[in-house]
Amino acid sequence: MNSFKNMNKVNRQIQKLLFTYKKGGIIMIRKKPIEWTKLDNAAKIFPPTTNEKDTKVFRFVCELNDVVDKELLQSALEKTIELFPMYRSVLRSGVFWYYFETSELSPVVTEEHKLPCSRLYHPNRRNLLFEVTYYRRRINLEMYHALTDGTGALGFFKTLLYYYITERYQEDFTEKLPKLDYDATFSQKMDDSFLKHYTSNNMLKRVKITKAYRITGRRSIDNRIKVIEGVMSVKDILALSHRYDTTLTVYLTALFIKAIYQEMPVRSRRYPVVLSVPVNLRTYFPSVTARNFFGTIYIKYQFGKGNDELENIIEVVKSAFAQELTEERLLEHMNQLSALEHNAFMRVIPLVLKDKILRIANGLSNRGITATLSNVGKISLTKELSPYIHMFNCFFSARRPQIGMCSFGDQLVVSFASPYIGTDIQKNFFRMLSKEGISITLSYNSKEV
Amino acid sequence: MRGREESLVQYCENCNVTVKGSNLVCPLCGGILQGQGNQEEEAFPHVPTIYQEFHIFIRILIMISFSMVVISFAINAILTKESRWSFFVAAGILCMWISLIFIIRKRNNIPKTIVWQVVLISILSVLWDYSIGWRGWSIDYVIPTICVVAMIVMAIAAKILKIGVRNLIIYLLVDGIFGFVPIIFLLFGWLSVGYPSVICVTVSAINLLALIIFEGENMKSELDKRMHI
Repeated sequence: MNSFKNMNKVNRQIQKLLFTYKKGGIIMIRKKPIEWTKLDNAAKIFPPTTNEKDTKVFRFVCELNDVVDKELLQSALEKTIELFPMYRSVLRSGVFWYYFETSELSPVVTEEHKLPCSRLYHPNRRNLLFEVTYYRRRINLEMYHALTDGTGALGFFKTLLYYYITERYQEDFTEKLPKLDYDATFSQKMDDSFLKHYTSNNMLKRVKITKAYRITGRRSIDNRIKVIEGVMSVKDILALSHRYDTTLTVYLTALFIKAIYQEMPVRSRRYPVVLSVPVNLRTYFPSVTARNFFGTIYIKYQFGKGNDELENIIEVVKSAFAQELTEERLLEHMNQLSALEHNAFMRVIPLVLKDKILRIANGLSNRGITATLSNVGKISLTKELSPYIHMFNCFFSARRPQIGMCSFGDQLVVSFASPYIGTDIQKNFFRMLSKEGISITLSYNSKEV
Repeated sequence: MRGREESLVQYCENCNVTVKGSNLVCPLCGGILQGQGNQEEEAFPHVPTIYQEFHIFIRILIMISFSMVVISFAINAILTKESRWSFFVAAGILCMWISLIFIIRKRNNIPKTIVWQVVLISILSVLWDYSIGWRGWSIDYVIPTICVVAMIVMAIAAKILKIGVRNLIIYLLVDGIFGFVPIIFLLFGWLSVGYPSVICVTVSAINLLALIIFEGENMKSELDKRMHI
């Protein structure tokens, strides 16, 4: 019986071979050509500046109400990756630029065992640039920033959750499957929106960087980032910010500036506190790309010029946001960034040198930044899926203290990620909130010193 | 579910915050927490600190190299004052390290490592030949041999390690083109022994021809990809 089966198998193999021979004739049958894509504009800075200290990886977390099932998550991931073929890429270096090359690698779900935001891109290594892990009730998506930004990753994450939840709670979805609310064709997902919206052909302008106050501190020995996440009620914070006659983002930004100020040595107060705030450009320019499409604005506050009460900081921050968040200003930023890519001289420099130049440029621009605050905003999910989800969270590998925040339902999660051991800024920030009567629940990752 | 969660959280009275999981102290102020805590509510797994350090093998190698250099200088100084042979020991060890550093840095890409070694060994051998009175052995033997050996090693390594043709093409191409360098030596008549160079050029020509005929399209797309400006 067994040998009969084997015979059958061999027969089929021979038939297959004969068939390919007939079809191909003397011309070799060609394999599927390898596809490759250029890095989008914002991504170009990431590969040269990635290292153990600053991995350029960010994480989205979704805490479910039940413990995660590994097998179902794996099958959900396999379905999801089919819709985002772009994320199957590996990053490689050419003579002049880096590029993404499609690979046959398949993502594997593992239980979380590494430090948060561990390195994903290693030069000369061919591995996927994202990772899906789980821990108890949490599903984590870690993504290398060159591949996509927060919004892009969120589209992927939502699709993953959609497949996972509809599979895990099959019995609840017998009648009708909910709608997936990410609507983009393959080519729309692949779109390099920077290129599409690039308008001017001006040369690289000289950008003057004002030196900002820089937070210093002792790093942990294995470069781990310290993540402290605070869960609060959206309603409470909204009520609080309305009391100061402002929005949630402005209020928390001002609070962050104030928290930093309280730790500033007096002699450093002549430097302004500058927060870099990434902005999702999809809200300003039509695009549904699953790749990078973000810009960065800078919110500056100079202490010692009059009263430094919270009300005053809020006023300054508010006007800075209003001034920076206009289509013209963002377009200007975007064109400045794109000018690099369109600059003929820059393009023909070999990658080895380009790496060095970009590293220096990055180092210079870092001088002008004190800390970073990224607000992913309200995460919305099809309402049929919402009951299974407890909360969302996001944070970023941190070269300097960073706040990542997002909300889901009534849960606002503010995550502090910091490369430093000290937690004074975090303490100031959360204490100011709790003093205002906000109830906060904290979780954190680093139990060792 | 809710009830259990609430009874097992910890609270910091200084910061007025609730802390999830089981903790010794408050993450913000380091103060003592009230309450029991619940291991089940931990949001992150515990990852022990890993101390990154050089591999012990590398340490031993560094130790041996330095001792050898120092000892050879000492022996040179005591016994054979008239010759300077210890410099060659030092230079040899230096060359070994240069080569080793490149291997370690590029270790994740084997064909790339091989091509780098070809270039490196060629340059170092010419330098050696030059510094100990030019006899021409570097261009007579070393360069042609290493080019051919690299091609063979790449072909075998690709088979054993299952490296796809596409990942190999560019390196075979570079090595193939490099293999034509001995033509210059032949034309200018710099060589005292010609046959290794002739073999090298022949093998390179066959290699390039095979690449173009069998992998021409792949080679073109591979070049497009790597050379895009």
